Amino acid sequence: MIFWVWVFGLIYAGLLVFASLKSYKKNRSSEEFMMAGSNIGLTLGVLTFAAALFSTFTFLGMPDFFRINGVGAWIFLAVSDGAMVFLLLWFGFHIRNKVKGMEFRGVSGLISRCYENKLAGYVFFLSAFLFLIPYVGIQIQGIAIFMDAAFPGSFPAWGWSAGIVLIMLIYSEIGGLKAIIFSDAIQGLLLLVVIWIIGWSCLNHFGGIGPMFDKIGTVREDLLSTPGPQGLLTPQFLIASLIAILMIPVTQPQFTTRIVVMKSMKTMQLMAVSLGAFAILVILPTIFIGMYGADLYSEYGRDEFFANAFLYDQPDAVAALAIIGLIAAGLSTTNAQIFALGSELRGLLRGSENSIMRNTKIGIFVFSIIAFFFSIIVFDQLVLLARVSFAGTGIMGPMIILGILSDRKVSPAIIYLSLAGLLVFLSSLAGFIPDMYFGLRLDLLLFIILGLVAVISHLTGKKLQLISPKKDQ
Amino acid sequence: MEKKRLYWKICCIAAIFLCILTFTPLVIPQGIATPELAGVPYSLWTSFIITVLLVVLTYIGTRVHPGMQNEEEDV
Repeated sequence: MIFWVWVFGLIYAGLLVFASLKSYKKNRSSEEFMMAGSNIGLTLGVLTFAAALFSTFTFLGMPDFFRINGVGAWIFLAVSDGAMVFLLLWFGFHIRNKVKGMEFRGVSGLISRCYENKLAGYVFFLSAFLFLIPYVGIQIQGIAIFMDAAFPGSFPAWGWSAGIVLIMLIYSEIGGLKAIIFSDAIQGLLLLVVIWIIGWSCLNHFGGIGPMFDKIGTVREDLLSTPGPQGLLTPQFLIASLIAILMIPVTQPQFTTRIVVMKSMKTMQLMAVSLGAFAILVILPTIFIGMYGADLYSEYGRDEFFANAFLYDQPDAVAALAIIGLIAAGLSTTNAQIFALGSELRGLLRGSENSIMRNTKIGIFVFSIIAFFFSIIVFDQLVLLARVSFAGTGIMGPMIILGILSDRKVSPAIIYLSLAGLLVFLSSLAGFIPDMYFGLRLDLLLFIILGLVAVISHLTGKKLQLISPKKDQ
Repeated sequence: MEKKRLYWKICCIAAIFLCILTFTPLVIPQGIATPELAGVPYSLWTSFIITVLLVVLTYIGTRVHPGMQNEEEDV
C-alpha cells in the first residue's frame, strides 16, 4: 500500500502546488487574496462549494451514521441538502443583490452595515468562531486517526494533526482564496471518485442493492426504517436538522463567501442545481459503506470500522486512494472554514489595508492553532458534532435573513435575542440546562422563537424612505 | 414577468410541501420498512424521490426565478 500512497500522494501534492502557484501573484490586492477577484465560474463554483460542504463528515461520518442509525440518515442529510440548494437559489439572489456595488468583507461586516450596529457583526463572528473551530478540530482528528491506522506507530496522532495544520497554513498563505478554490476543485472530484470506488466494492460484497437490504434485514431489521436502532432519527430530530442544514449557506461564512464570489447570478443559480446533483451522487455510496459496516462491523467502534472498511478490506491501490481522498476531503473543508473565519475577522477590523491584511493573516494562524488543540482534545461522533456546528451557527439565521431581506429600519432586539439564544444553546451543550422544553428540542425551539421575532421585527419596523427633492426646489 | 413570479411562487410552495411531507408518516412511518421498491426500504426510496424532486424544483427555479431578468446587467 505504501507504494500506492506515494504515487497518489505525489500526484495530489503536485496538483496542489500547481494550483497554489497558478493563483500566486506578487502584488495582489487584499480583495484578490481574500475574495479570489469575485470571478468564479460554474465548474469551479460547484466543486469548491461541494468540497467545502462534503468533508470527512461525509467521507467517514456518514457511513458511520448509516451503520449506526440506518436508512433514515438519508433524510438527515440528502433531503436536507436538496432543500438547502433550493434555499441557496433564493438566498443567493438576495445576498448578491445586497452586496452589489459594495466591497463584500464577510457576513460580519455586511450584517453590521445592515443593522448599523457593530454588535450584530460581533455576535455573528462569535457564533462562527465557537462552532466552526471544534468542527475543524474534529475533522483534523478524523484524518489523524485514519493516518494512524494506515501507518501505525510512525507518528503520534498529534503529529499527523500538526502536519495537516501546517500544510493548510502554507497553502492558504501562498495562494489565498483562489488557491483554496482550485484545490477544492481537485479535492471535490477526488472525493467523488474515491467514495464511489469504495462504495461500489462494499455493494459488491452483497451482490446488489436488493440483496444488501435483504441481508441487513436479517442482521438488524430496525436499520431499515426510522427512527433507527438508537431511536435518534425522530421526526423532531430530522426537522431540527433540516433547519440547521438549510441555514448553512446563510450562516456558515465559507459558503456565503462562495455565493458572493461567483461570476454572475446565472452561474450561482446553476451552481445550486449542480450542487444538488453532486450531493445525491456523493451521499449515495455512503449508504453502501454504512450497510457493509452494519453487516460486518456492527459491534466495532468507530475507528476500527473506518480502518477495516476503508483500508484493510480494500485492495492496496484503493486503500491508498482512500487515504489521499480523506486528506483531500478534510483539508479542503478545514481550509475553507479557517480562511472564512479570517475573512470574517477582516470585516470587523479597522485601519489601513496593510494592517488589516497583516492582522487577518495573524488571525488565520491563531485560528489554526486553536483548531489543532481542539483536534487533540475533542472526541465525538463526526456527524453529531457537525450537526451541532450547523445548529449553533444556524441560530444566527433569522438575524442574518432579516438584516439582508428587510427593507425596513428594524429593532435591534433580534441581535440581543440571537446572542441570548447562542448563550442558552451553549449552556445546554455544556449540560447546565436541559435540552428539551415542552417536549421540543432546544435547537428547534430557538429556531422557532428567533424566526418569529424576525417576522415581528420586520412587520413592526419603520419603512425606510428614499430622500426625494422638495417640490419647490 | 408576472407569470414568472407565479411559477416561482409555485416552486417555493412545492418545495415547502415536499419538506413537510418528508416528516409525516407518509414517508417515515416509525418502524415500518415496507412496501419496498426493488428491494429498497420504504423510507429510503420515498425520501430519495423527494431529494431528486427538490433538485428538479431547484432547476425549474433557475428558469423561472424573477431575478434572472437582471442577469445581463450582472454579467
